[in-house]
Amino acid sequence: MADMATARATVSPRQVLQAVVTRPSAGVLLLLVVLCVVMSVVSSSFLTVDNWFNIANQMVFVLLLALGMTIVLIVGGIDLSVGSVMGLSAGVVAYSLNFGFTLASAFFFALLCGAFIGLINGLMITKVGLPDFIATLAMLGVARGLLFLWTNGVPFLGYMTPTYNTIAGLERPFGYLTVPIIVAVAAVLAVAAVLKFAPFGRHAYATGSNVDAARLSGISVARVRILAYVISGLMAGLAGILIAGRTTTVAPTTGVGYEVQAIAAAVIGGAALAGGRGRAIGAVIGALTLTVTTNAINIAGVSGTWQLVVTGSVLLFAVVLDRVSEMLRERSRHIPPPPVPAHAAATA
Amino acid sequence: MSARDRLARALMVEGAVVAVVFVVIVVFFAASSPVFLTAGSLRDLFVESVPIILVAAGMTCVLVVGGIDLSVGSVVGLSAATTLLSLQNGLPLLVGILIGVGTGVLVGFINGAIIAGLQVNDFIVTLATLSIGAGALQVLATNTQLTGVEPGAFTGLTSNSILGIPQSVLIAAVVIGVLEFVLVATSFGRTIYAAGINGRAAHLAGVSVRRLRLQVYLLSGSVAGFAGVLLASHLNSVQPGLGSGYELTAIAAAVLGGVSLAGGRGSVWRAVLGALFLVTLSQGLQLLGVDPLWFAIVTGASIVAAVAFDRAIQRLAGSLLQPRKPPTRPPADGDESEASRAEAPSLPTQA
Repeated sequence: MADMATARATVSPRQVLQAVVTRPSAGVLLLLVVLCVVMSVVSSSFLTVDNWFNIANQMVFVLLLALGMTIVLIVGGIDLSVGSVMGLSAGVVAYSLNFGFTLASAFFFALLCGAFIGLINGLMITKVGLPDFIATLAMLGVARGLLFLWTNGVPFLGYMTPTYNTIAGLERPFGYLTVPIIVAVAAVLAVAAVLKFAPFGRHAYATGSNVDAARLSGISVARVRILAYVISGLMAGLAGILIAGRTTTVAPTTGVGYEVQAIAAAVIGGAALAGGRGRAIGAVIGALTLTVTTNAINIAGVSGTWQLVVTGSVLLFAVVLDRVSEMLRERSRHIPPPPVPAHAAATA
Repeated sequence: MSARDRLARALMVEGAVVAVVFVVIVVFFAASSPVFLTAGSLRDLFVESVPIILVAAGMTCVLVVGGIDLSVGSVVGLSAATTLLSLQNGLPLLVGILIGVGTGVLVGFINGAIIAGLQVNDFIVTLATLSIGAGALQVLATNTQLTGVEPGAFTGLTSNSILGIPQSVLIAAVVIGVLEFVLVATSFGRTIYAAGINGRAAHLAGVSVRRLRLQVYLLSGSVAGFAGVLLASHLNSVQPGLGSGYELTAIAAAVLGGVSLAGGRGSVWRAVLGALFLVTLSQGLQLLGVDPLWFAIVTGASIVAAVAFDRAIQRLAGSLLQPRKPPTRPPADGDESEASRAEAPSLPTQA
């Protein structure tokens, strides 16, 4: 996004404005920049290294879930179960550690739990033929119910170890950088690479854009969709490992409502619910937007009760802005801009 | 008509499956618990299910046109709060009810205007208004005292009975009857189905699909608002988080009743049956002494089972209805076409 401004230093301001307005998710970035500028002026504690690493640490969970959600959205599905799966995986880690398993095997079980639930989601959708929405909605209820039954309503606790403290980012061995931030960056790079270079990435976009065309060109559509849900489940498992460490207790309500934030982040970042569109960097932009807004209202001293209103408004604003820019783009495609004003502006 | 054809047609009747399953669980609970089929217990069951039934009925109209309305859950809570707040401050009963319904109309209008006017994805828009509505309720509940009103005309909406039936149940029945009538017997209803089956074709046939979509969101919002009013009358108190999850239960109820998320298929009474099924299930399990922690699992599993079962039944009925070997063809060809037909019904499931 930065290269856009430098590369077009010679073009007129009008063209720059048009480019900003018509670029996907440019509106959201604009909102983010304006918010940051305003907050930097209003509060001295906003534009500090401390605060930005704080934001980075907070956005890890939503970011991981949004990455998985982006892949599911690309193949044209939706995964409502991620919040519950995150909670259940957190429960798996806590229980395994209390049971006496090593940290590594506890993490492995949590990832396995996430991947397994993703697999069930994928099979219900592709083999049984349930709508994505219904299958993952049912899984949302089932996974949450399992965690409630398992914990019997009482949080798991007392499983933290010094190593786990470091992994969860409670201890900072490398200055500001914490392990969750490193994990999140690695996950973003991995998903970006898979979407861009791996055959699965191409197949995912093809499946989401046109299922029939994808099937006819020899793509195993069912396998691509199942794999997308497995990846989403794995991401939820990973987020579960990190949140179990961060909160140091696993309440039966751990992760409630995260599916909404994950969908919001993915969509704010430009993923389309109709499928075929979405990028890893979009998930970052979306998660960042949500987290920075939360952070800003906290710093501005707005009561925490306004949290939901703000999240919803940001989401609504982002999609409306995205839609308006799309409409402008369509209009400029129908009526090619006359060359005279651009020329006149360049000579002026 | 052979017995086989008759069976196939019986299976094809939409809603037959959920109706049968509903009767089965009612019989099961009645057999396992002596108090299940008593007047008091049934009365509780219906009073409890009024809000969710109304929300499911409104949701059905949105689903049939091919949309979705996730905001209804927070509309129920928010409308309950605005109504209670108005009545606490001494406004007349009718004004309080109108304010509650008006809250729903307002949210429905925001949804409809953005979805139909700007053509933004309905799922995301209503997800955002769900969040905003739930947040508004939280703000309202923390900044004001929603303690409830003196028992009177408002609480009487639920507690008073006519011929032994609670008023709220009667009101809900009337609303459902009107909605069913509108959907099935009016030209407005037919355009809803037409737009849900094929929006483009409906548009070409002269239906203003945009206005129609605005109208169904207004409808869904106002019905959810009214459900909130009745819920406030039943509980006479409002906490933050009231009504959360209603949207999912309502969608589950509609889908259980055979309403298609893809639009164009469904009816109000079947969604109501689906909602009654879910409420009966949870109440029945409660009577049997099942740990309430099981409810989320049982509900989720029953949704999957019901939809999968419905698919299987439709497929079975479809294969039963296939004409058997055409007499003009040699048997070898007939066998081949039989094999290819068996494959055919599984194709649309990818849609």
